[in-house]
Amino acid sequence: MAMYINGTGCISHQNTIDVDSFFENSQIDLLPLLPAQEPDYKDYVPTNMLRRMSHIIKMGVAAAKISLQQAEIENVDAIITGTGLGCFEDTDKFLKTIIENNEQLLTPTSFIQSTHNTVAGQIALLIKCHNYNFTYTQQGLSFESALVDASMFLNENKNSNILVGGLDEAIQPYYDLLVKAGHIKKQEDIITEIEKNKTKGFCLGEGASFFVLSNQKNKTTKAQIKGIKKFTSIKEGHDLQSKLIAFLQELNLSINDISLVLSGNSGDAEDDKILNENNKHFFSTTDVVYFKNLCGEYFTASAFALWLASIIIEKQRVPKTLLQERSNKELKNILIVNQYRNTEYSFMCVSSC
Amino acid sequence: MVFVTGIGIISAIGKNVSETLSSLLESCTGIGKINHLQTIHKDNYVAGEINYSLQELEGLGGLKNSNYNRTTLLSLLATQEALASADIKDVTAHRTGFISASSVGGMCHSELLYKDFLEHKSHENFIDTHYTGAHATDVAKHFGITDCVTTISTACSSAANAIMLGARLINNNILDRVIVGGTDALCKFTFNGFNTLMILDKEWCKPFDNNRKGLNLGEGAAYLVLESERVVKAENKKSLAILSGYGNANDAFHQTASSPDGQGAYAAIQKALEVANLSPTKIDYINAHGTGTANNDSSEAAAIQSIFKENIPPFSSTKAFTGHTLAAAASIEAVITILSIQHKAIFPNLNCVTQMQDTTLFPVTSLQKNAVLNHVLSNSFGFGGNCSSLIFSKN
Repeated sequence: MAMYINGTGCISHQNTIDVDSFFENSQIDLLPLLPAQEPDYKDYVPTNMLRRMSHIIKMGVAAAKISLQQAEIENVDAIITGTGLGCFEDTDKFLKTIIENNEQLLTPTSFIQSTHNTVAGQIALLIKCHNYNFTYTQQGLSFESALVDASMFLNENKNSNILVGGLDEAIQPYYDLLVKAGHIKKQEDIITEIEKNKTKGFCLGEGASFFVLSNQKNKTTKAQIKGIKKFTSIKEGHDLQSKLIAFLQELNLSINDISLVLSGNSGDAEDDKILNENNKHFFSTTDVVYFKNLCGEYFTASAFALWLASIIIEKQRVPKTLLQERSNKELKNILIVNQYRNTEYSFMCVSSC
Repeated sequence: MVFVTGIGIISAIGKNVSETLSSLLESCTGIGKINHLQTIHKDNYVAGEINYSLQELEGLGGLKNSNYNRTTLLSLLATQEALASADIKDVTAHRTGFISASSVGGMCHSELLYKDFLEHKSHENFIDTHYTGAHATDVAKHFGITDCVTTISTACSSAANAIMLGARLINNNILDRVIVGGTDALCKFTFNGFNTLMILDKEWCKPFDNNRKGLNLGEGAAYLVLESERVVKAENKKSLAILSGYGNANDAFHQTASSPDGQGAYAAIQKALEVANLSPTKIDYINAHGTGTANNDSSEAAAIQSIFKENIPPFSSTKAFTGHTLAAAASIEAVITILSIQHKAIFPNLNCVTQMQDTTLFPVTSLQKNAVLNHVLSNSFGFGGNCSSLIFSKN
């Protein structure tokens, strides 16, 4: 069953608030830490609420608001979010005070905003939405989990509009922890052709990408999500390929129907091995682009990829920074193939409608 | 229809189903002195702590040097019991999923190392096991479950949502069977969090008592095995109960507090009744969320009153047995609810003596035997306005 994308909002390392500017001006400017370009949040959130909000809450609430504006609706039948890390800024803040004050004289604000469902709860508060409200956290499959739920929800509740989002923040202490764990790419190892990396590590990004989904197509519809699959058990290229073939078969598509592949290479040579192998053999005649060059690697980067695919379908163009030249044929089906740390894989197919 | 074919539990009142049942039947609480959690408050408060060290928990699971944190070990132990209870030997025989829930995941371990990290002394990588979903990855891998693995984190309603999701995955024909539940270990982070909110009772909590002072924190994990009608029939499996209804709604009132009229709770119960296709009069017992905080119990009582009007079914909160186990609470209470149905017993709401002034509702305070329980409602509410209700029915 199709899920129509009737509105989207995205905050990322690029200027994704202004879509036209994104197509013209987005560029690959990789650094080990890729912070989001933030809008003036006052445009989206009442100032009195804004004051108390942490970084991730602001990004999430604003991206959600933009999605609703685009879809020309004020409320929804469900709010479903996915976040791998949750509200780390508030978590870190509370933990630090526990340590520094030896468990004394603490204030609750950062604690009550530290739970993973804070953003979904804040959106519900803001738009007064008493409906279904879920938050998933499964590392690199957090957003995909939300999307699987969304597809079930639309199946169970025809004619509904739902808000689905993937979001994660890259604040300094988290970055420091990842450096310590050896997951961040060294400045001197960064190259712009992400698929040609021979070194370890990735550039850490952040962002919030939200979508208003419905099984009803209308005048605001940008694209449709034809299919979504997630895996925790892919061991080798061969395995990925057979799962891709099965996925396309389920959607009645062949590889020739795919106009563009958004490949989730993180830049870590080891973790990208299976994707590279697959892109070389399976997509040898299809254009493959690497979206994490724009947004960096994070648990819910696949939500950025979904945003990117939906605007590429809508505008029928690919940002020049991703693809210099392409044939003039219609952009019909975009396949997103993502991996996180080579343990979690997902496919999404986004199509014109 | 979705059947419950297995249950597993570990909490302050027992490391398995049979110990849990004995404690419940004997009105024996698990809330007491804090031994393992290293907090400066340990001598001033009580909690529902599981009286095993990390190494002892490993031993219970037949593991050694596993590197699993407390949250993961609790999850693993309860899952192990649930799988055995459902007599599942081959997890690949059907499309099988693992849906877990946790509020703070690996925090119990991270918080011990965070000081050294801040002071640039620590070299241990704890971030990879810190993630709230990390335990689910490890436990699913341990048992070889690959078809659908995910974690829900909606604060204190998390496990109810995991159970609800599992049922929907079966009803949508995505899975044939699924292990659903939640886990949370006590940690300084949540202990201090609830303490700063001034909603911890230093003594035994008194849910639904007019003089209630707050909640006692607990820790634990519980999982149910849900199976489709097709699998249950094909394998001639014994079902413990039917998961007949589920509902999720948002209070949209305040980040932490519940609305005075319990609007979110009302909507969640209403939806669960609709899914189960039952009128409120069919509910024979409510296992309430009943945390023991002034706010929750009043709000929940108001919601129950609005739904059931003059016909309030018997209700009790079992949190005075286990403590509030946060993201695991709903699955721990789901297992207790199933034990209620199986053993025809309503377990008492301990420590409640004085009638609440703002309601006429009063819970069951002593063990009720020979209770015919055809349909039982279980409520769970959390921060962020998350409200969820489940209905379990007799086979």
